[in-house]
Amino acid sequence: MKTITEDLLSSYLAARFPDWSGVAASNLERLPMGASRETFRFDLAYTDADGAHRERVILRRDPPLSNVDSDRRHEYESYRAIYGQGIPVPRMILLEEDPAHFGGAISLAEDLRGFHNSEYQLQEPAWADRLPRIADEMWSTLGRLAAVPCENLDLSFMTHATPATTAMQELDHWEGQLDANDVGPEPIIRAVIRWLRRNPPPPAQKLAMVHGDYRAGNFLYDDAGKLIAVLDWEMAHMGDPLEDLAWSMARVFSFGKDDRRSGVAPREEAIRIWEAASGLTVDPHAMRWWELAMCVKGQAIWDSCVHAWSSVDEPTVIHAYAAWWLRNAQDRAALELMGKL
Amino acid sequence: MKPAVPAATRFLAGMLRTDVVPHLTDFRAGNAAMTAAMLDMLADEWDVAASRLHSENAALHALLGKCAAFLGEAGPAPLEQSDLRVSALTATNEVLRARIIDLHAAIEENEGGAALEDEIWAVLRDTMETRRVASANF
Repeated sequence: MKTITEDLLSSYLAARFPDWSGVAASNLERLPMGASRETFRFDLAYTDADGAHRERVILRRDPPLSNVDSDRRHEYESYRAIYGQGIPVPRMILLEEDPAHFGGAISLAEDLRGFHNSEYQLQEPAWADRLPRIADEMWSTLGRLAAVPCENLDLSFMTHATPATTAMQELDHWEGQLDANDVGPEPIIRAVIRWLRRNPPPPAQKLAMVHGDYRAGNFLYDDAGKLIAVLDWEMAHMGDPLEDLAWSMARVFSFGKDDRRSGVAPREEAIRIWEAASGLTVDPHAMRWWELAMCVKGQAIWDSCVHAWSSVDEPTVIHAYAAWWLRNAQDRAALELMGKL
Repeated sequence: MKPAVPAATRFLAGMLRTDVVPHLTDFRAGNAAMTAAMLDMLADEWDVAASRLHSENAALHALLGKCAAFLGEAGPAPLEQSDLRVSALTATNEVLRARIIDLHAAIEENEGGAALEDEIWAVLRDTMETRRVASANF
């Protein structure tokens, strides 16, 4: 994979923006964020007709093979679609899809520094008294996302879905990902898939922009526990807002190793906050269906980590780690939801 | 091997955490911390992997026999586990698990298969429990 350097960034941006002068990228560093994309931050200085500027920038690059079937344009357009709709997200700056420049498509966005996004930090005793605030911020933001009218957003780049089709569309997609990234038989998850097909949920109460990976670790928060920005929209799609709620409560993300979902609040409390913010109600059968569907999604992603790790010239530690750490826990979560634990 | 592999890998994991990770930042620190966690998982797995797979294969093979009998199909070939390498046992395990998927699906469609289905779920639960990762969230 091509090495991204400050000189490479400076020369690229100078050519991309001929009105800029004195373009200089500095303090480039790679961040330990996520398994699906490479994330860097750097400082950018330039001068244009308005004067001298200094910006803090996040760069995301598509790897040769990711554990998530998405691309730069999809995430870039997702951020742009939800920006200004009451859901805090960073401002997008630039999309470069030609891999000739950086070895893979990249996007640049504003870097909101000075905040936290660690799911593990939230388990430290010093944060215990702020978890109720975090829970309220986390699930009320998700509820507000569910309430945003889809017709207000430009989601033309996404696969079309309807309230009646979204559940099976998602199941088909993730079963397809399991098949495409087969790393061995999955008798528990395959049984779950059969159950999901025999017991379809009711149509979605409404169609929403679904974040696709909403959990602790994918939003920034400040020292007081206020949510600053929602990150990682690469799996965003049109769908049933219950899908995001189900994913946010997945057992494999219970970082406190107890009943608190995302390591933040009990399941019932998360649902209560979400219902109040979204104006929607959680149908128990539909919720269970989506929680089980999210087990299929999870295992498909962890299996694709194995596939990605085994298939590229430069494997990354996180793909092997995620697969070792999560695959059996995902089976256990599925067994619990099936009432077989 | 002496010192024993689990003890040595746990020692190496601890060294990484205390002597290396604090001197790194961001991406490299994350990689080193995950490497330490993987060494801990390896320590847990090293001693039990072959035994667990050997037992699991026997349980799956017996279950396949019951399922085949219920469905009126030919039973599985005799279980061959003389090669105790983890890779060989894993290959056998995957053949058995693939067959369980097919028979489980067939039994779900068969009235009167509830008791056997319960047995299948029990074996799947047992195989999952014996594979639990100590550091996993669930």
